[in-house]
Amino acid sequence: MATPKINDVAQAEQGTSLWRDAWLRLRRNRLAVLGLTVLLLFIFIAAVTPWIAPYDYAQQDLELGAAPPSAAHWLGTDIFGRDLLTQIMFGGRISLAVGFIATAVALLIGVTWGAIAGYMGGRVDAVMMRLVDIIYALPFMIFIVLLMVVFGRNMLLLFLAIGAVEWLTMARIMRSQVQSLRQQEFVEAAISLGLPTAAIIRRHLIPNALGPIIVYTTLTIPSVMLLEAFLSFLGLGVQPPETSWGLLISYGAESMEEYPWLLLFPGLALTLTLFSLNFLGDGLRDALDVRGAKD
Amino acid sequence: MRFGVLKFLCLVLTFLALLACGARESNVVQGNRDGILHFGNGAEPQGLDPHVVTGIPESLIINALFEGLTVKNPHTLESEPGVAQRWDISDDGLTITFHLNPEAKWSNGDPMNAEDYVWSWRRALNPAMGNQYGYMLYPLKNAEEFATGKIQDFSDVGVKAVDEHTLQVKLNTPTPYFIQLMDHHSTFALHRPTIEKHGKATDRFTPWTRVENIVSNGAFRLKDWQLNRRLSVEKSDTYWDRDRVQLNGIVFYPTENIASEERMFRVEQLHYTQTIPLEKIPVYRAMKDSPYANAPYLGTYYYLLNINEPPLDDVRVRQALSMALDRERLNNTVLHKSNVPAYSITPPGTLGYQPPKVFDHNIEAARELLAEAGYPNGKGWPGLELTYNTSESHLKIAVALQQMWKDALNIDITLTNQEWKVYLDSVDQMDFQMARRGWIGDYVDPNNFLDLFLCDGGNNSTGFCDPDYDDMIQRQAPQANSRAERYAIFHQAETRLMEQMPIIPIYTYTSNHLIHPSVQGLPPNLMDYVNFRYIWLDKNQEVVE
Repeated sequence: MATPKINDVAQAEQGTSLWRDAWLRLRRNRLAVLGLTVLLLFIFIAAVTPWIAPYDYAQQDLELGAAPPSAAHWLGTDIFGRDLLTQIMFGGRISLAVGFIATAVALLIGVTWGAIAGYMGGRVDAVMMRLVDIIYALPFMIFIVLLMVVFGRNMLLLFLAIGAVEWLTMARIMRSQVQSLRQQEFVEAAISLGLPTAAIIRRHLIPNALGPIIVYTTLTIPSVMLLEAFLSFLGLGVQPPETSWGLLISYGAESMEEYPWLLLFPGLALTLTLFSLNFLGDGLRDALDVRGAKD
Repeated sequence: MRFGVLKFLCLVLTFLALLACGARESNVVQGNRDGILHFGNGAEPQGLDPHVVTGIPESLIINALFEGLTVKNPHTLESEPGVAQRWDISDDGLTITFHLNPEAKWSNGDPMNAEDYVWSWRRALNPAMGNQYGYMLYPLKNAEEFATGKIQDFSDVGVKAVDEHTLQVKLNTPTPYFIQLMDHHSTFALHRPTIEKHGKATDRFTPWTRVENIVSNGAFRLKDWQLNRRLSVEKSDTYWDRDRVQLNGIVFYPTENIASEERMFRVEQLHYTQTIPLEKIPVYRAMKDSPYANAPYLGTYYYLLNINEPPLDDVRVRQALSMALDRERLNNTVLHKSNVPAYSITPPGTLGYQPPKVFDHNIEAARELLAEAGYPNGKGWPGLELTYNTSESHLKIAVALQQMWKDALNIDITLTNQEWKVYLDSVDQMDFQMARRGWIGDYVDPNNFLDLFLCDGGNNSTGFCDPDYDDMIQRQAPQANSRAERYAIFHQAETRLMEQMPIIPIYTYTSNHLIHPSVQGLPPNLMDYVNFRYIWLDKNQEVVE
């Protein structure tokens, strides 16, 4: 290998953005890349499902009933003779949408709320966090049920309702992060330089608190997917013939002795997604950790 | 991947094995030794007040706790002595005299007397009580007038305590099934001081039915009630026929999830299941000495249509919905041939009666009717919601029918499931468009199914009201001179009813239970009637293969 030339060194010293840096580090983490690939693949499949699904998801073949995997139905059929692969593809659309949208809602509210409370401190903090405590104290199922009853059943509302209860923990984590960051010199420097509060929060506090937030996000997405299954089971979420992974799993579990494939494949789809999310989250946390070694 | 599957199966098997041969003795073994029956009871009971509740889970528990004037023999379904030792029917059939057993006592030791019945029937018929089964007592003279508020004075109603142990009853018309009605919980006597201690006589759901308060008169008394877990009763030492009661107690389990109910049965946590998951039927059918008991059952599974609500206010829409369904196909596939397709409300062969069949599966005709009603090929269809109580088998049926409607008529039906109590409320208040319903005969007579749809029938729940229909059921049929004539009137009335189609009949029930071989004295019968006094547990029959 040749010795580095002068201008190579100069280039290296030019400095890279936080995101570019993180991306480079993430790429080196094989599991994280695998997770990202699987996720992107699933999202892609979910996006194009209506055009590529092998069957109509509601189409029944009662005489066929529950059949094990075969050439015509790669993953078998459910008790109504509906193609399981199609069901999983359409179910994935709902599960992924709920997972990502509800989490995004939670993230948006939680991070903003927590950052403001943590940064402002004092009375503002007290009022904002007591509000969080109060909402925490509400049994969240009742809260969601109430929302659904008042506004009627609606997919978008389901996303929002779940997001609206999941942001609380996020806000608390963000607040504690910001509180510790606020004491640090670079924040004081930014304040003394006269940066507006919003800019300080946006430019300095949030990026530095990203690690725990991302980890928590990857934990939120699966719990939200399971919550959706639970709500659907209670009759508040999606209703047949619409389906989701959580619903497919709960029906599959009932007949797992007779028709194991009805549990196995939807379970596999959900597990793969959750693993991918966890690997990706792990990788992202390492990659985004600005305090980590920068070689 | 293959390895993964294997590993998963191993895990599952290990888990099941652990469950099956855990260190703890199973309920069945323990129960057989101690004389305790472990009984899968379907849903959590809505309550225990015999004048309030309507469901099967409640009636099973109430039959253990209380006893009517008569009870049924589970083998023959003939009435036999309960609180009444014997009864005389006058020659004109209009007066019945019940002679109460002087030994009959309440569970707190108080003696029972005829006055208890007069007071209790007054409560059961009181309009303020809102008793949906009040009409069971309508054969009594002036009972209907009292229940509908036309008369205020209960002493005009045809029931009288002649002396302490003699109850005299006067009927409007000779009612052959009146004796049968006396084992229905809405005609039971209740303990007046207990009820009045905890509220007004006509208050619904007061604390009088709680474990520490309840006083009953049956073979068992309430011992423990843990909401959503179990309800235990123990043998009563004040019951008049206690020497014949062989069980020391019964534990009722709410088993709304039928898959776990079946699993509980398999690991010997239950002696008896309320039903069996559809996909398990072929498995149990194939067994030698199968615990699966499938028998004809006096009941109909149907969908209620709220005929006040568009689009169901149009009779053509109702007919189209009903004709579009292929009931044979549903029964042969999803239901594993466990039931019988139904085209009318009365189960065929109810005491020799054959219901009319005014329509058949006919997609062409259904499409035409729907087009006439203004929805050609489903165009402009406003949508329709089907409400059912949470249960896997109701869901399966609903999903299959939803698609049949979609395929045949190109219309969308949405499904909504509700927990049992919420569902009962929705049905009572007619807060639905289309709702699942089952009706199980309370006595063996077509009248029991046809009087559901009287204008003021407590379980009508459809908005159907036809004065001519009411006249046939209430006036003409009871005055018929022969059974053939009576059945001809019923047939005519039922034809009228089904032409208006306020309900969509789906199938005639069969009873489906898993019964542990140690359970004796629980024969199959048309009413799926359980008389706990007859049941005993045979310790020598321990093994389910």
